Amino acid sequence: MVPFIVLTTICLFFLIFILLEKNPNDPPSALLNKNLPTFSSISLYNNEETLLSDSLKGNFTLINFFASWCTPCRAEHHLFFKIKKEIPELYILGFSHKDDLNDSKKYLEEEGNPYSFVGIDRDGKIAFDFGVFGLPETFIINKDGEIIYKHTGPLTKKIIEDEIAILF
Amino acid sequence: MKLQFFFKIFLALFFSFSAYANENIDNKVKKLTLELRCMTCQNQSVHDSDSDYSKDIKKFVKEKFQEGLNEKEIKIILTKRYGEYILFKPYFNLKNLFLWLFPFILVILSMIIFINHSKKTKLE
Repeated sequence: MVPFIVLTTICLFFLIFILLEKNPNDPPSALLNKNLPTFSSISLYNNEETLLSDSLKGNFTLINFFASWCTPCRAEHHLFFKIKKEIPELYILGFSHKDDLNDSKKYLEEEGNPYSFVGIDRDGKIAFDFGVFGLPETFIINKDGEIIYKHTGPLTKKIIEDEIAILF
Repeated sequence: MKLQFFFKIFLALFFSFSAYANENIDNKVKKLTLELRCMTCQNQSVHDSDSDYSKDIKKFVKEKFQEGLNEKEIKIILTKRYGEYILFKPYFNLKNLFLWLFPFILVILSMIIFINHSKKTKLE
């Protein structure tokens, strides 16, 4: 009887290990605690203004990938104003991902623009380097330029309070 | 006349080689993308999925093969961004040793238990 109990316990332990590791709704991020990928992005509003990844060092930065065609992005959008108000030292960077530039501008006119800078990621290369696989996705970068947080899907008040606010 | 003949042969050879090379790359893309998980789908490979994400990955893999990278190098690039989760078959390394060996350990343990149990039953 004892060996059967031992075997069952081992199997259960293994099952829990697999289920924790392979949750399809929250796949583990490969970029956590690593340096943010190098990028250069042109401003949505000014062709001559470029943002380099290196310039983000020294500040806490929130990076959000959005698009006008992304419905969940609209659901979370107003929350960035809340974040901006509650954490004023946070630099909020938005990336218009695979979107028509005029549509992105229109989207930000309708919903408001909480971003300190809106970069263009027309071909999705920046998102690819960040390991983005579905919009919206949000990253927090620390002062050393390391990715300390990643969230896939729309943010909620609860996520901001429980997971983001505690980082500052 | 002769020049025209050689030119035609050259063209025929050129197009057959390029068709062969393309087919070869397409086969390589298929083989690799069948081993990659579509991160936005449930239990589908990148090859079988038509999601935007999978289309991007297929395009990326094809570009990298055309640039001369091999399967291993492309997998490394992808796992650096998406983690090992993108691979249906995880790497055989120290971190995953338990994952790979556990089924065998389980079979051996079960056999030991089964044999012991059979011996006891026979003795009784």
